[in-house]
Amino acid sequence: MAQADRRESTNDPARVAVTAAGVVSPLGFGLAETLESLRSARDCVTPVMRFAVTQCRCKTAGQVSDWRLLASYGQIPRSRRLHRASHMMIQALQELVTQQPEFEPELTVIGATSGGMSYGERYYRSLTGAGDLRHAPTWIANYPAQKPVTDAQTACGISAPCYVIANACASGTNAIGHAFECVRSGRYQRVLAGGYDALAEMVFLGFDSLQASTPEKCRPFDRHRSGMVLGEGAAVLALENLDSARARGASVLAEIIGYGISTDNFHITQPEPSGIGARQAMERALESAHVSAADIDYINAHGTATVFNDAAEGKAISALFNGVPVSSTKSMMGHSLGAAGSIEAVVCLLALQHQFLPANINFTTPDDGVDLNIVGNEPRSAVVDVALSNSFGFGGTNASVLMRKLEA
Amino acid sequence: MSLAIAGMGWVTPLGTGIDSVWERLLQGHEASATTISEEFADRVYSVFRVPDSALRGISHPRLRRASAISRFAAAAGLHALESAGVKLESQNAERIALIFATSNGGVSYTKRFYHEIVSTGVQAASPLLFPETVFNAPASHLAAMLGMTGATYTLVGDGAVGLAAITMAEELMANESLDYCLVVGTEEIDWLLCDAYRRWRFLRLAPPIEPFSNQNRGMILSEGAGAIVLARDGLVTIERAPPGGYFNRRAEAETILRRILGDLSQIEIDFVISSANGTFVDHAESQTLQEVVPNALVYTGKPALGESGGAGGLWQIILAAQALHSK
Repeated sequence: MAQADRRESTNDPARVAVTAAGVVSPLGFGLAETLESLRSARDCVTPVMRFAVTQCRCKTAGQVSDWRLLASYGQIPRSRRLHRASHMMIQALQELVTQQPEFEPELTVIGATSGGMSYGERYYRSLTGAGDLRHAPTWIANYPAQKPVTDAQTACGISAPCYVIANACASGTNAIGHAFECVRSGRYQRVLAGGYDALAEMVFLGFDSLQASTPEKCRPFDRHRSGMVLGEGAAVLALENLDSARARGASVLAEIIGYGISTDNFHITQPEPSGIGARQAMERALESAHVSAADIDYINAHGTATVFNDAAEGKAISALFNGVPVSSTKSMMGHSLGAAGSIEAVVCLLALQHQFLPANINFTTPDDGVDLNIVGNEPRSAVVDVALSNSFGFGGTNASVLMRKLEA
Repeated sequence: MSLAIAGMGWVTPLGTGIDSVWERLLQGHEASATTISEEFADRVYSVFRVPDSALRGISHPRLRRASAISRFAAAAGLHALESAGVKLESQNAERIALIFATSNGGVSYTKRFYHEIVSTGVQAASPLLFPETVFNAPASHLAAMLGMTGATYTLVGDGAVGLAAITMAEELMANESLDYCLVVGTEEIDWLLCDAYRRWRFLRLAPPIEPFSNQNRGMILSEGAGAIVLARDGLVTIERAPPGGYFNRRAEAETILRRILGDLSQIEIDFVISSANGTFVDHAESQTLQEVVPNALVYTGKPALGESGGAGGLWQIILAAQALHSK
């Protein structure tokens, strides 16, 4: 980072604009396809074919099409050797760069949980099964979690230093939140933020072993919910000092106005049942944004559809907010772990831009235990000025970000 | 903004405790290598392990099933807080942030979890092991042991991730609602890691580590943790923590190092704690140091302590702080 670009913190925090975004998810490639899928409340969860799931409780996931990923092959040297996660990141970042070719980040902050895990699986299976290890160096070199980030930056001519935050399922929101704090403090003018994760057998079987994933449809906040389905994807957002973005004539998609993070120490895989951790993250985001709960128009919930998570999050939301519309878009695309927070930030961005509430599909029966205004099954047109996005992860890590619509 | 080091904790193959490990390094001690093997492979690797005695007295219900990486991190983190005189209570639980740095995470449990699936079948996937495979499991255990309720982050990266965690801590501490940031770098050893690094041509089969050698024979892996408590006041200050950079091709290493060191050129540098570990990167570091700080003394602790990935950066900070503090 150029030291000259830095300025010390002041008491007057900078405003933080989102000037571009890119996304690859089961909902589609790019903002336009994602919007179309959200508008039509499309169920993008499909049977898993990538590895054997016949003996698993869950047999479905939200998946990104391999043949669409082929489009990024050839963009950088040896791209056929790269992991799918790299190709997802490359395509998401390319979309962002197309919108803002002049965006040169000083720092990149990306959330991820699994890196190139499926390459690690291949290596291990070859090692233990006397398989062909000729490609082992390639698998190993593409396994680290930072590799898809540097691959994407290389493909797009970006060389910013990067952090990979691995805070389990909250990683993507943590990445956006930390990037927001970095710009707001005045330390950086432009930060690239986002997250990625690609479906991997080991992770799939891990959630299956915990009986956290469902053999049925993913039904967040439904009384009959029975668990999550996994997903995959990547999303990136260009965060920029609002004044400097406007000074250079950049279009502004939205403003990030607040971030809250908390840790609850109840259990490594389960949230504190009263929802105190989730509540603290949301309260801190509101406080950070200097807005009240009454100012929130839409909540994109973490909403994994597990019994415990939705109960805890539902309690926290109903305690803080009075009838604010809530949906979990994981019902349409599954839970993409480290990517989830950043993809859901893009969903909020689209809701703010296009003034609608994305749907929580597969919702049939309200849960008597929580009082929530669920956007059931169909999207709704609505005035959406401020949106809140939640992500909560293993280890009791909780994160919330607040975004606001900005008039041009 | 400059930050100060208020406390430190050190778990290494040369033992634990700042003064004890420092004294041993001053006396020229080097960790003893042991060998590590695997039932499904013939190859044996040399590693530097943390002695069992180093973790005596560290117990908590959260650590009952936790892997070595979590125990190392807990020991170093608790020592650092104790030496800083910081006690966590409900009133200040959210005023202390925690940043973890690791390259490989809980690799031994990850291997065990997947091994049972590969060898026995899907039904063998263990719900007890899976949560320990997650990168932020060690951070979660330490946060729970301490009762932290504020920000906790786990950063994953290469051998520079520990220094990136210091930079991130500096960014977090710009927020005045924080009094302290505990930064912990940690790593554990497994045969699988040795094999992977060997296939990646970074590892040699037996000591010594030969830093700045023309041969680039490779490194020996080690394990442990380093922890520092950052505050606004303390005995040693961190004047600047550049965010670093990644290189995708070996040829880019020198350019990036030159840029990073160039950012520090206004500071008079007498002594450099190098990350030299016997691999190709040493050449780039050596060239850049000769160019940017030709008169500085250079030291690397890796021949004595081994290459410990995520812990390595914190070990370098501890070495620098000790050198400055003890003169």
